[in-house]
Amino acid sequence: MNQWLDERLHISRLNDKFLRKAFPVHHSFFLGEITLFSLIILILTGILLALAYEPSNSLVTNSFDPGTADKPNLIPAAYHSALKINAMPFGDMLRRIHHWTANIMVAAAVIHMMRIYFTGAFKKPREINWWIGMLLLIFTALTAVTGYVLPYDNYAYNTLKVIYGIAASVPWVGEWVAQAAFAGKFPGAGVIPRIYGYHIMLLPGILLALTGAHMLLMIKQKHTQPQYAKRLAYKKIVGVPLSTQQTPIMLLLAIMFAAIIVLFSAFIPVHPIEFFGPPSTTPINNIKPDWYLLWVFGALAIIPSFEVHLFGGLIGAEFVGAIILPTVFLLAMFAVPMLDRSKDNMYYAENPTNHPVRLAAGVAFMASLIVMSVAGYKPELISSGILNTANANTVLWIALFLVPALSYFGVMGIVRGIRSLREADERERGAFSPADD
Amino acid sequence: MTRYKRQDPEITRRKFINAAMGGTVAVGGISLLSTLGTANPVFRLTRDKMPPLKGDILVHAEESKEGQPIKVSDLSDQLVRAWPMGKGEDGSNVIRKGDPNNILALYRFPKGQLIAPTVLEATVDGEVVAYSDVCTHAGCSVSDSDQGDGMKCPCHSGQYDPKRGCIVTGGPPPRALAQLPIKVEGESLVVADFFLAMPYPFIAEAEWETFKKEVEDQLA
Repeated sequence: MNQWLDERLHISRLNDKFLRKAFPVHHSFFLGEITLFSLIILILTGILLALAYEPSNSLVTNSFDPGTADKPNLIPAAYHSALKINAMPFGDMLRRIHHWTANIMVAAAVIHMMRIYFTGAFKKPREINWWIGMLLLIFTALTAVTGYVLPYDNYAYNTLKVIYGIAASVPWVGEWVAQAAFAGKFPGAGVIPRIYGYHIMLLPGILLALTGAHMLLMIKQKHTQPQYAKRLAYKKIVGVPLSTQQTPIMLLLAIMFAAIIVLFSAFIPVHPIEFFGPPSTTPINNIKPDWYLLWVFGALAIIPSFEVHLFGGLIGAEFVGAIILPTVFLLAMFAVPMLDRSKDNMYYAENPTNHPVRLAAGVAFMASLIVMSVAGYKPELISSGILNTANANTVLWIALFLVPALSYFGVMGIVRGIRSLREADERERGAFSPADD
Repeated sequence: MTRYKRQDPEITRRKFINAAMGGTVAVGGISLLSTLGTANPVFRLTRDKMPPLKGDILVHAEESKEGQPIKVSDLSDQLVRAWPMGKGEDGSNVIRKGDPNNILALYRFPKGQLIAPTVLEATVDGEVVAYSDVCTHAGCSVSDSDQGDGMKCPCHSGQYDPKRGCIVTGGPPPRALAQLPIKVEGESLVVADFFLAMPYPFIAEAEWETFKKEVEDQLA
């Protein structure tokens, strides 16, 4: 068959160019692959869910609890279809797999990004792929958030209301943008079809295109090589080829990953839509976004109220906390490759302890995100008595600056310790090894 | 050496192509942007989306009793949520829940507990008071606080004091909850006028005034 294909498609050129791509052998290089497997599982389960989902927020009679003829029990069609999905064989399981995989995809992407950052793999010539990766992270989060809204239970409804409020908080154009994005004043008659369109067409399309670009660039520029490759064969690409050595490893990993997710989903239930009920005026206590947006939520909870009127627009705490602040953080992440001044192309993954400032700055950055996420638990911190209403904001604000600063200097100290140990080791080795080594 | 006489055209090929491409991109971009406008549907101010109006009866918003008029005896220092119910164009009753920001919070405190800046003339005997139940920060529905006095928003823990005109006592909200003037007519509570201040989602007094006028014009 190979020959048949080769005669028609010149498959051997594809083989040379792509299928022989060398993959470095190191476990940290599987993080990106796990992100990719998550995307595939999400698309497959998403297709199955879309087959049974009804994207509409018009009211229908709840077939599980129809009510009476003169007072029928009306619920949004989207919520109704989510209930029906839960009731169909393996339906709840599908939702759980989809939900947990989405969370794991974001987590895997974040850890993948940490690997890139700490080993300096973003440096020249791979800046473009860092930026594409940033876009992938942003669009993954957007896809996850729109998916959150689709079951249209009371939780989703309240979340959507906050998202609408955030979009509307942009000065001058906010209200128009929010209405255009969410089909009219909240809750617009077409809001669910609109978000369904985003979630299953627009955003996954962008995600797939970016994923393709991300991988093509990776093949073109090659992986950064682990340090052992430098000793093994300097300036040569070391690794196992995609076909045939890497492929079985990938398949095994993919199947094991899928199995773990299914196991996970079998035991840990997902967001219980039956419990939250259809959209209503009853607020949900301690409503929280998913973990990867908790830091924005926490920032909103500790930013004090203020309003500045500027040229007829209004700049408030919500705009600053939910739009300006994440933009600043994301821009800082986008700027990472530009902070590196080296002119030479980078081949080998660096030992993080050889770059203490980069390491410490990265840890401090993550520490600040973690403190903000903890601030998202402000109501719980207050009700459990750890903080009180009067001091909560002050304590959290101080922690927001103190914890990253401490972790920065802590990391610098630890790195110094590691390096002096290493130097001592080398001195000893030098003293004891024979001179004609 | 070849003799080469340079032609001097008015515009070079490269310039022409660049200008043509730039023009195409500009026209195409603007026309594509303009189609984005279709994403924003026309807003029709129907009766169920109008704000609480003079003469509206306050009815229970809780699912089990939705639509039943609220009596003074139903109220206490625990929050009771209400919708305004008015007349539709055909004269039938319309619960104004088309706009979820119309949700109201009702309290009844012992005489003397409600103090300024609550507008006491807009309460019933200085005992029963109605506010917008929508947090001025991100538009969540505000509840009774689970720790002690006052109201707390479950979204970003904004706090309000319903005995003092729902002023902000903690958290990020920029403004107090708007008070709604009410009175008793027979058994039921009736709205006496528009909100005394602009409710969520308005951010400028001028917009709220325009909106009130638009509602009045449409009803006239």
